Amino acid sequence: MAVIRDMIAPFELYQPAGVDDAVRLMDQYGDEGWVLAGGLDTFDWFKDRIKRPAAVIDLAAVDEIRGIAEGGDGGLDIGAMTSLTAVAEHADVQSRYPLLAEAAGLVATPQIRNQGTLGGNIVQDTRCWYYRSGWPCYRAGGNICYASTRRAMNREHCIMGADRCVAVNPSDTAPALVALDAEMVVASSSGERTYAAADFFIGPDIDIERMTVLEPGDLLTRIVLPAPREGARWYFEKIRDRKSWDFSLVTVASMLQVQGGVIQDARVVVNSIAPYPVRMGAVEAAIRGREPSEETGQMAGEIAVEGARALRHNDYKIALTRNLVKRSIRDAA
Amino acid sequence: MEFLRRALNPWGEDVPIGVSWDLIWAAVIIGAVFVVVHALMVPKKVATGEIDESEAKGLPEKLQRHTVGARGFHWSMSATMFALLITAFFPVIGIQFPWVTIHWIAGVLLILTVIYHIYHVFAKQDFWTMWIDRRDVEEGKLGLKAALGQSDAERPRAGKYPVDQKMFHHVAMIATLGAVVTGILMMFRIDNFLLPMNTYMFSDATWGWIYVIHGVCGIGLIFLVIAHVYFAIRPEKRWMTWSMINGWIDRDRYLENHDPARWTVDGSSQRAEAEGD
Amino acid sequence: MLDAEIIQSRRGGFTRRKFIKGVIAAGATASAAGYLFRSSGVLAPMLSAQGAVERLVTLNVNGQQRRVDVPKHETLAMTLRYQLGLTGTKLGCDRAECGACTVLLDGVTHYGCSILTHTVRGREVTTIEGLEDDGVLHPVQQAVIDEGGFQCAFCAPGFVMSMVGMLDKNPAPTREEAAVLLSGNLCRCGDYDKILNTAMRAAELSRSRA
Ligand SMILES: Cc1cc2nc3c(=O)[nH]c(=O)nc-3n(C[C@H](O)[C@H](O)[C@H](O)COP(=O)(O)OP(=O)(O)OC[C@H]3O[C@@H](n4cnc5c(N)ncnc54)[C@H](O)[C@@H]3O)c2cc1C
Ligand code: HEM
Ligand code: HEM
Ligand code: SF4
Ligand code: FES
Ligand code: FES
Repeated sequence: MAVIRDMIAPFELYQPAGVDDAVRLMDQYGDEGWVLAGGLDTFDWFKDRIKRPAAVIDLAAVDEIRGIAEGGDGGLDIGAMTSLTAVAEHADVQSRYPLLAEAAGLVATPQIRNQGTLGGNIVQDTRCWYYRSGWPCYRAGGNICYASTRRAMNREHCIMGADRCVAVNPSDTAPALVALDAEMVVASSSGERTYAAADFFIGPDIDIERMTVLEPGDLLTRIVLPAPREGARWYFEKIRDRKSWDFSLVTVASMLQVQGGVIQDARVVVNSIAPYPVRMGAVEAAIRGREPSEETGQMAGEIAVEGARALRHNDYKIALTRNLVKRSIRDAA
Repeated sequence: MEFLRRALNPWGEDVPIGVSWDLIWAAVIIGAVFVVVHALMVPKKVATGEIDESEAKGLPEKLQRHTVGARGFHWSMSATMFALLITAFFPVIGIQFPWVTIHWIAGVLLILTVIYHIYHVFAKQDFWTMWIDRRDVEEGKLGLKAALGQSDAERPRAGKYPVDQKMFHHVAMIATLGAVVTGILMMFRIDNFLLPMNTYMFSDATWGWIYVIHGVCGIGLIFLVIAHVYFAIRPEKRWMTWSMINGWIDRDRYLENHDPARWTVDGSSQRAEAEGD
Repeated sequence: MLDAEIIQSRRGGFTRRKFIKGVIAAGATASAAGYLFRSSGVLAPMLSAQGAVERLVTLNVNGQQRRVDVPKHETLAMTLRYQLGLTGTKLGCDRAECGACTVLLDGVTHYGCSILTHTVRGREVTTIEGLEDDGVLHPVQQAVIDEGGFQCAFCAPGFVMSMVGMLDKNPAPTREEAAVLLSGNLCRCGDYDKILNTAMRAAELSRSRA
């Protein structure tokens, strides 16, 4: 029997005009409410009728969190509702944060970037198909992972950071924002909180049912970029099956602060290999004080995959990670 | 309030996946109510303080109640039990941390402790001291009546363990063994270096019931631990608690609460050890 | 990931009844029925909560104001095709995975299958039906005819809209740039070469007309 998966189940729809109204509605509905930004992560859930919120809070009219503005201390302030296209094509982002411009420009397709928002891209859920098909796995509140059994199809799943759940974070912009030391500003009825990008994401060991610190009632409002570093070099590379549409298999985002030919400080972040963007602290420490050379890259690559464990179909991700980390140090520009 | 968490599996079967977490609060509330009611209602037992001097003859001042091994078992069990309860339930009520690895390692330690205990009980201790016999039933009835104010007959002295403690032991034993057996099976569902992962060892429904039993036993233990700790810190029971720390009870306590015929402490042979502690 | 070892969540307290729906229950019967009774109002939530959107909306489609009664959960492609009769917009995948439903919102390409109709209120919607101007074909449409750009042409309306959006952004793209700008549309016939020929011809035509 064919399964029809096109008609969204009915819900109450709100289009608040400001953050305060949105937060009030989100509070009122709690886990029965759903925040809608661009909707590109959302509608699959709705069409499959796996998520059936009572109310959808559409942020389309919340203009105060759309757009890019000069931030304090020479940084940039990006509203969560800013489209990925707007981020990728913004002159300041391109000149001062090429890492982010590139990441946003490599998401999915032009149409998806026109509509998908930076906030939604960061907050999006994992793409594990067992979970997205509505199977009652751990992430859905159940007690089993279908993707880590012996016969599971897990080519896209993780090589580190697993704890029962082996899904990966699919976002392209997330590793870039971690590498840029961005901050996430979250509004809720109890006030505003700020998280370092790296702390915004949580693994299944801490909470197997969510990818970020956000809970019902929390609205991501702004992404704050600190002033770009002096002498910073960047590297971003996304590996995917097709050059369009596809989610990353492995993505690396690096920032190297090089002075006198020597790496002073670094951020090396890899995504789609763990349930959260992985900041490679050991790599960063090991390459400090060295030249960004082939050898340093080689060493960094080896350190990056220490402790990595492949599932049945994804050992290629270990080699990919090793090589991408190497390149990200050798070829950063 | 629901008792089970349920799910539709990929084959469309409605299967249980675990016990409802609301029961955690039920256990905590029942535990608190039990403690409050007991503290307010049950009259303090007035110790007569009278002892039969003739029985005291030949007995040392301090009598050994728990050997070092028994105490080691008890505290090791207590530590692992707290670790298990905290790792299991704190994340559910909102204090989140990486719990699974700590949980199963504590579980394995608990299992080792219980194995040691069972061995010890059969090999070194007297298995029958925990057995509930006819005299315990009588003792229990009298105790209950006295508590309800229907009788002022004095409760007979117990063996090594009074009947309420024996009952507690058996309930705790069932809950612990339930959590242990299901916990071992659940190890096949998670990635660990002791047992191979075999998610499909049982049907979804069977797995579900295993999770339910694990949860029910765990939640039962919340209540049992509350009650147990409450009794341990009650003033009139503290001598017993101390004995779980230092190993001995004094002679007067022994004669006041225990029937030397039912629990014989061979003073002469144990004197040196008890005093040495 | 989080450095903190312990985080405090607002979870806890008594939970609502939780029942996880598996894939089967999420499927056919309910959705099919929902579709049939779509505009009769039976699916509208029982209570119209305060501050919620009204179903009756005026949409700006191809320069016309169209009053239409739209369920809150309806996507733009559905409204266009089944309420406004604009069947030029195709539904291929209904999953933002093919581009057949591409329309312009304020001149920018979007997938009509993956946006709520209510979200586009107040914006200018352009579909393939809105391209020709008083009998004069849009340069992209003319280019399709000139190049014989498609095989079965199911993907054509989407590609045409993407090309219109592309020319707005980059009136003189290279073939490679055009390929990137059109990378949000799929052609099952694999006719990409001719489609790119069309795109290049369209760029030429529109420059010569301007
Ligand atoms: C075919 C396809 C291919 C894709 N390929 C890629 C890819 O290659 N790389 C990639 O990174 N992504 C990809 N995506 C995912 C998509 O690009 C992102 O999901 C998109 O950026 C999400 O943004 P959105 O605004 O559409 O999110 P929405 O669907 O609106 O929101 C996503 C989630 O975030 C929540 N949310 C959104 N905004 C906020 C906020 N401000 N505060 C709190 N919660 C919020 C929503 O409730 C929802 O749970 C793809 C998606 C599709 C359909
Ligand atoms: C088949 C399993 C078990 C048997 C046969 C058993 C039997 C006994 C016996 C006979 C004693 C009395 C020992 C003595 O003082 O002479 C005892 C004591 C005790 N048991 Fe168990 N027990 C079992 C399982 C458990 C479990 C699972 C627990 C944990 C909850 C437990 C907790 C205790 C405690 C705390 C004591 C008192 C300390 C001691 O005297 O060692 N028992 N048990
Ligand atoms: C006796 C005290 C114990 C308590 C209170 C306890 C409680 C719990 C609880 C509440 C859960 C969550 C179950 C669910 O999600 O439905 C759990 C999971 C688990 N427990 Fe225990 N448990 C105990 C002992 C053990 C033991 C002895 C083991 C075995 C080594 C064990 C191994 C596990 C495992 C493997 C999981 C599975 C984790 C998962 O699938 O998510 N537990 N426990
Ligand atoms: S990997 Fe995670 S999301 Fe996928 S089936 Fe396993 S538990 Fe569910
Ligand atoms: S139908 Fe909208 S992208 Fe395929
Ligand atoms: S021509 Fe047939 S799908 Fe493109």
